[in-house]
Amino acid sequence: MPRSFALMPQFVDDTVVPPPPIADETLIARAIGGDRRAFGQLVERHYDFIFRTACKWCGKVSDAEDVAQDVCVKLASVLKSFDGRSAFTSWLYRVTLNAVRDMQRARTRRGRNVDRYAEVAPDEYLPDQEDSAAAKELWDAVRRLPDQQRDAVLLIYAEGMSHAEAGVIMGSKEATVSWHVHEAKKTLRGLL
Amino acid sequence: MSNHDEIDSKLSALRATRTPAANEARRNQALDAALRAFDAEQQRATQGNPIINRLRSVFANAKGTFAMDNRLTYGLGTAAIALLLLPLGYQLYTSTAITPVGVPPVTVEHTAEPDTLGGEASKVTTEEKNVEVNGAAAATAPMVEAEIAADEAVVLAPAPVPADASAAKPLSRTLVSPGGAAPQMSAGVQPKMAMESFSAPMTAEPMMALPADPSGNMFSKFTESPVKIVRDEPVSTFSIDVDTAAYSYVRRALTEGWVPEPDAVRIEELINYFSYDYPEAPDAATPFQPTVSVYPTPWNDKTQIVQIGIKGYVPPVSEDKPSNLVFLLDTSGSMDAPDKLSLLKRAFGLLVDQMGENDTVSIVAYAGSAGVVLEPTKGTEKTKILAALDTLAAGGSTAGAAGIELAYQLAEQHKVTGGVNRVILATDGDFNVGIDDPEDLKAYIRQKRDSGVFLSVLGFGSGNLGDDTMQALAQNGNGNASYIDSFKEAQKVLVRDAGGTLETIAKDVKIQVEFNPAVVSEYRLIGYETRALNREDFNNDKVDAGDVGAGTTVTALYEITPVGSGAELNDPLRYGTDAAEPAVEAGSATEFGYLKLRYKAPDSDTSKLIEMPIGKDLAVASLDAAGADQRWAAAVAAFGQKLKGSHYGDMSWADIRKLAQGARGEDEAGYRAEFMGLIDMAAVLRPNVVAASPAEQVEVAPAPVPEVAPSN
Repeated sequence: MPRSFALMPQFVDDTVVPPPPIADETLIARAIGGDRRAFGQLVERHYDFIFRTACKWCGKVSDAEDVAQDVCVKLASVLKSFDGRSAFTSWLYRVTLNAVRDMQRARTRRGRNVDRYAEVAPDEYLPDQEDSAAAKELWDAVRRLPDQQRDAVLLIYAEGMSHAEAGVIMGSKEATVSWHVHEAKKTLRGLL
Repeated sequence: MSNHDEIDSKLSALRATRTPAANEARRNQALDAALRAFDAEQQRATQGNPIINRLRSVFANAKGTFAMDNRLTYGLGTAAIALLLLPLGYQLYTSTAITPVGVPPVTVEHTAEPDTLGGEASKVTTEEKNVEVNGAAAATAPMVEAEIAADEAVVLAPAPVPADASAAKPLSRTLVSPGGAAPQMSAGVQPKMAMESFSAPMTAEPMMALPADPSGNMFSKFTESPVKIVRDEPVSTFSIDVDTAAYSYVRRALTEGWVPEPDAVRIEELINYFSYDYPEAPDAATPFQPTVSVYPTPWNDKTQIVQIGIKGYVPPVSEDKPSNLVFLLDTSGSMDAPDKLSLLKRAFGLLVDQMGENDTVSIVAYAGSAGVVLEPTKGTEKTKILAALDTLAAGGSTAGAAGIELAYQLAEQHKVTGGVNRVILATDGDFNVGIDDPEDLKAYIRQKRDSGVFLSVLGFGSGNLGDDTMQALAQNGNGNASYIDSFKEAQKVLVRDAGGTLETIAKDVKIQVEFNPAVVSEYRLIGYETRALNREDFNNDKVDAGDVGAGTTVTALYEITPVGSGAELNDPLRYGTDAAEPAVEAGSATEFGYLKLRYKAPDSDTSKLIEMPIGKDLAVASLDAAGADQRWAAAVAAFGQKLKGSHYGDMSWADIRKLAQGARGEDEAGYRAEFMGLIDMAAVLRPNVVAASPAEQVEVAPAPVPEVAPSN
């Protein structure tokens, strides 16, 4: 049996979590109470956020769409476990990142990991601002990092978060996040 | 440093990336899917158990960021797992043979839910929690995540709905049996209570096992032999078992203060640990003669025990048979403990002391790579052998298979005819490298056995003892498995019982008993679950069975219910008669049954048969009139049954102790005295359960209407 609650680590850092938007909170409360419309509104409002996040992590639009749909479906069941202590978006990050990871794991299990990198369907890649080869190379390298290093780099550089904020989402301490970033840089130095 | 900054600025470019706008169609699709899921969720919430509606953790890597989230997930997860496993274990319990007769069959008639849930429970996965790297919180703990898929979560506790009314008739008239509590479980008895009452059959679920075994050792699972109806199944067949490993293991467990896993308690091995004073066979031509006695059962005054004992022929000392022994010693890193390698060295030193001129000893070590430590050496060169033993040190991982091949190769090169050719494997049990398929290894050992080289396995230490592997190997290699937990035990196995351990006088010994339905209505074989054979295997010489060493005693006990004693656990059938009427022969009412015993000479492939009737005249009227050996065996059986939480034989520890105390006999080596100590320890660790008054025999015609209707 799993450990008791008392053993669960608690890393809630109230100082870094912005106060949650009232409207979201209300919608969540109603949705948990069984209000279908409130749930619909909530998902609609956050779909873009979920999709964008998934895009950055997956690098493929079609994958991101799959992940986003998964997350929306999951929300129906897991929303009630959101307690409002952290911002809804932070929580949503977490859910989305996990969905990305689940998808990638499932893909690895099916042994398709290799062609994920080998087979290039150009239209599927994110259109980069300058569409430069360098930018594409950068994204590829980052996405190939180990899960936690990748998460840390993307949250900090692509999302512009502080180490502490990223820590909240990753469920790690700030120092741990910094360490992941440091490691990621070491890895990337050889690649870029 | 500049390098770092360069990376930094490059990474900043990530920020500038724009993501494409979401596709409208996909977006609407996702919203629709979400709403459908929401609807399904709501429906479930109103129908299902509100406590554990839908529990689908997405926190594959959650580390407590959202403290509340996790608590919810974990709390519900724990509850869900408990609720999932209870019906699952219950299903296991009811669908396997261990169901004692007399348990209300009502509960067996569940609808299919447990199956569904069983399938779901297998989805419970453990995932490694990611490591917090900053040192402060470096905790890796497996996290259990329960996933309940959409449609299965609806019914969590199977309601006791009998399929038809006739099945609802409770038949219990036995002691309070675990099944008795079953129907209430689903009606809302606290999970803990339910769990306790299920502890015995639940052993298939490691999570549910009551006595926490701190060891991590592996045991073959088995279910206790059930009571058989003589008219349905008059013939009982099994292979003898000369292993004693279970006893040493149980002793170690109790001495260290924990209750061994039920699967580790093989009652026949407990009984056979002790030697009994059966009459010896007169000559080598007939290596043993069976001794049968019948006496009242100490735990049930209406039934009787049939004890079958054999003692192997002991060749006279003048016959110094040459022996060719290959020690195959595990020197992997895990053996580096005082109770493993160093005990092993001292134990083998004992064996070397007995070696003579005719004997050769070789030593093969196996760890990362197998190697010959000592080329075959005459038994008289003791210093050389002991020096080789001394050089052994632990290190590397275990590659059992490669070592075994090397050992057999040596044994075959120096094979002695008419003597003992044996590989003695000493290990803590884990063959974890170099063997792809355990079946292949077993086949290899079988093949070598046929060529005349036998295998004995000595188990050492605790922690990753692969008891099941050891047993399997020894059984396939015409050998025996012993567990060495102390120097004293080493002395027993390698010196006192060395003859039995090393010199086989009969192989493939099988016992078959046919009970007489005119006299015996029910019978139950005590122990030997892992040795059961098919009826037809008895006459098939190709079927392997246990071997008897020189001077070894083997004992088997049956608990029989005489016809008309009123102690039958099975009710007579309501419709039709029981099986066919037996062909009653004249005088057959004077026999309980007929004993047949087959064995092969060590170098023969054809079996010989020994047979004798079990006459009523063998029975004694009271337990006191039975011999000390008989009472001792019964006491050990009662001890084993109680220790493993058997459904049979409910005696208090004090009564077991009293019975054993009066049957200690001479006990020169003090083994029986030691057993007395084990009874006391077991009594402390597993106190008597105060039995509630036996369930009344109630006739309930209509099925009880369950309070919670099953929802589908």
